Amino acid sequence: MTDVKIAVTSGEKRLQNRILSISTPRAYDETAYHLPVSYALTGLAVHDRATAQEAYARSGNNTIVAAECLLSEQFAIGGKEHAPYTGFIGDTVLRKLGYSLVDGSILGLALVIGTPDNAGLAAGICRELQEKYMLTFLSGGVVPALSGTGVKLGLEYRLIPLGSTNTHGIHFADIVARVAMMFGGVTPGDSGRLLKYATERAKAIVIVFSGLSDEDIALVDAMRALGFPIVSLGPYSGDAWITAIPEDAVRVGMEAKGIRVTVTAIPIPMACSPAFEGKSIRKEEMYVEFGGGRSPAFELLRMRRPGEIKDGQITVIGPEIDAMTEGSANPLGIIIEVAGKSMKKDYEPILERRIHNFVNYGEGSWHVAQRDLIWVRISKEAVAKGVRIEHIGKLLAGKFRMDFSALLDAVAVTLITDEKKVLAAKDEAEKVYEERDARIQGMRDEDVDTYYSCTLCQTFAPNHVCVITPERPALCGAISWLDGKIAYEISPAGPNQPVKKGALINAQNGEYEGVNRFVKKTSHGEIDRCSLYSVMEYPMTCCGCFECIALMLPEVNGIMVVNREFKGVTPSGMTFSTLAGTIGGGAQTPGFAGISKNYILSDRFLQGEGGIERLVWMPIQLKDELKNRLQKKLSEQGHADLFEKIADETKAATIEELTTYLAGVDHPALSMKPLV
Amino acid sequence: MAPDIRFDWTGTVGSVVLGATKTEGGTRKISYRIGGGSTLPFLSGNASSPSPLVALEICDTSEYWSPVIRNYCGDLVDDIHAWSQAAETLYGADLVRLYLTSTKERNFSDIVSVKTSIEDVLSATGLPLIIEGSNEPKIDSEVFLKCGEAGEGERLLLGTAEASRYRSIAAAALAYNHSLIAQSPIDINLAKQLNILLREIGVPRDHIVIDPYTGTLGYGFEYSYSAIERIRFSALKGDADLAMPMISSATDTLTVKEVREADPKWQDEIAVQWEFYTGIAAAVAGAEIICVRHPRTIPMLRKAFLDLKTGTAGPAGLT
Repeated sequence: MTDVKIAVTSGEKRLQNRILSISTPRAYDETAYHLPVSYALTGLAVHDRATAQEAYARSGNNTIVAAECLLSEQFAIGGKEHAPYTGFIGDTVLRKLGYSLVDGSILGLALVIGTPDNAGLAAGICRELQEKYMLTFLSGGVVPALSGTGVKLGLEYRLIPLGSTNTHGIHFADIVARVAMMFGGVTPGDSGRLLKYATERAKAIVIVFSGLSDEDIALVDAMRALGFPIVSLGPYSGDAWITAIPEDAVRVGMEAKGIRVTVTAIPIPMACSPAFEGKSIRKEEMYVEFGGGRSPAFELLRMRRPGEIKDGQITVIGPEIDAMTEGSANPLGIIIEVAGKSMKKDYEPILERRIHNFVNYGEGSWHVAQRDLIWVRISKEAVAKGVRIEHIGKLLAGKFRMDFSALLDAVAVTLITDEKKVLAAKDEAEKVYEERDARIQGMRDEDVDTYYSCTLCQTFAPNHVCVITPERPALCGAISWLDGKIAYEISPAGPNQPVKKGALINAQNGEYEGVNRFVKKTSHGEIDRCSLYSVMEYPMTCCGCFECIALMLPEVNGIMVVNREFKGVTPSGMTFSTLAGTIGGGAQTPGFAGISKNYILSDRFLQGEGGIERLVWMPIQLKDELKNRLQKKLSEQGHADLFEKIADETKAATIEELTTYLAGVDHPALSMKPLV
Repeated sequence: MAPDIRFDWTGTVGSVVLGATKTEGGTRKISYRIGGGSTLPFLSGNASSPSPLVALEICDTSEYWSPVIRNYCGDLVDDIHAWSQAAETLYGADLVRLYLTSTKERNFSDIVSVKTSIEDVLSATGLPLIIEGSNEPKIDSEVFLKCGEAGEGERLLLGTAEASRYRSIAAAALAYNHSLIAQSPIDINLAKQLNILLREIGVPRDHIVIDPYTGTLGYGFEYSYSAIERIRFSALKGDADLAMPMISSATDTLTVKEVREADPKWQDEIAVQWEFYTGIAAAVAGAEIICVRHPRTIPMLRKAFLDLKTGTAGPAGLT
């Protein structure tokens, strides 16, 4: 075993000595970038002994610079190596290679260096790199080793033999340096930007076989500074290099660098597109169904460690569709396991919610609700075309890989149709749901200094900005603070952006300088102020997706709430749809606010107007829906009797009836500070 | 005293260079720096508001073009060399926009022709070029690579990137230092999103021209007007991701019913008027490049721009 650290020290020393006695380094022809690594790092065009030594010194005795200058000297003396070796690759070819990288027709770059112990395994690695759209460069003993294996070399095969010695691996670094200057706008001499570009943009990995000298080891190790993971298959010890077995080397390297193979088509016997999302499957069109209260069913998405699951693996436990009676309800457990370098446990519920969309993308599959309440149907037509349970798994695995390609490296799906096993797994899933709920529950607005925006609806309400806090979910009810935070992490340029709340302006109304600043900018200058907890003063704008509308009723000094489902006329004299037309489109309308149902249960609800005691009227359906949770909340706040005092359409349909009713029950709003 | 025509605007539209002269490393007779405005184009006062450029659109397979143009231009439409030469010398365009319509043909594989067509047009005219590459995602990679190569040094404007396919064109722009057109379907948010995607892939802001998509007059132009106007207002209010010059091309103009079914005697006149009024409205909304297909529209637009800027037609004439 060679200790990498010791070898690097000794290799660096040797290179340093050799640089002292360098005599005839020279720049390559066919390039405008001289000796590219030296040029990119220092801005110096190396063409002789003095400039080489100057560049080496200016780069802080950089090993790659030393190796580059020395190899160029070797080239100056000995000339080009014979075929198949390419040696230095000129700018014209490189521009095309860079094009393919940006264009996405190649996913990344790999350097395979050293002498493999087993030519067959080396060939396997090269084939895998080809299959995964990596452009691979070879240097050293690996090239002759491949000769008897049937692996073809050349640019058209994406396998490029740079040179016969390990030192030729330096060309790999000079390619990345030039790509950074050509495509990344890196100015020669700006070493900071070069390293940043190489680390963040260049999707490059290094796979190392045996047979490296100390100098070679120092050279390869120096590439770590460019952010290339070094995957070792040789007798090298130390923490800096990743040790792997040959079968895993490519996967480990690509995962370490976050290079992903993208899925473009899902091989299932039914069409799959968002176009089918709104299509439902009626009872008479249905072949089988799952859940919906008719049979046990649930869905769960869990994170696993990379390597724990096999990408694309679909497992069906229990009977397939063929064994199910037409028209029957069957048990179903959907378990999705995902792995990815930047995947986090917090993302699980967000991704899990996408199961709903994805199943509905299938032309003959339908899905509603979530968690252990799901209801899934598969149509007769789909089953006739050959759709099986297995294909739902393929659809899910494929869509998750496609839509979250930046996040997930592997997705495996297990579908359980065996009743006993579904029930057992469902118990486990319910524990996970509880843990998740506990995480957001109890979070208070004052616990965080950052809220999240949502401007998803700006496509139709151009100046609308939702500000989402732990205690105030988005007005559509679909996005919580945690969801906003995660959505931002997954897609930093997306519609959910962090909002620093900044200095407090008005505690009761929940008005903050930072929020105002953000809203002003994001509403394109239309909205100057936004209070998070007030209906009356600078309420949040409304898009059109609100689950409910809260509005002031000056006659009774209170606030009523009406939900979207309520079709009748409210005591305000207007229906939900009339009200919605009045306040939507991104406008700020004092006295009106769009809210989610869950917000009614928040301690912040109507805080600006003195609290939930202002609530005078809700449709009975909404009241029933919230009953248990609202009663609990009211008791906690010391208003146990308030629930009964809140009117509904059966108690008061008009403003006159409401006035009489509220006086009759002695509703607290009547004696509160006047609203207007 | 002149009124304040900057209102509360703080932003400026970024500029994009089109074409490269000999001293700039290309072979064009002229190059343009478009954008740079700090108010709407035809408001009068001290703030900067340059006049739009007019591009003549031509193509390499004329069966895709309106018969109105064939009738007017004659055999020119079958010879891109002569056609692009005429664009400069006869019709007086500022730019030539070449559509490589040949790539629309089923199983198109003659990638080399892309290069020869572009070189042909480059040799025929000294005007900066806009090149519309592939229409088929499968061949994007090869076609745009060829476009990029063929125009190396000439600072082409390459079209057209969309949210679902922008990588090849971005790669060509980056590799060969061209600019590109970023098109979104009449939606300011999608326009911004595409610009962000392009930025993330590495295309600098000063290499992007926004195409908000232009529906022709009577066929949804009002939506395009609104999109152009809102994009420009956002830029002037300081949104850097939308502060790029815009290009407008109402490609359907010559095929709408009013033109298609017009009395043959008046068809040419109606076509020109339809194109003119769509173009002038897009220019008023804020577009920096107006594309037309009928040569006669070019001088009409140019005169109108001048009148709006300095003559009696615009607010300048009222003072």
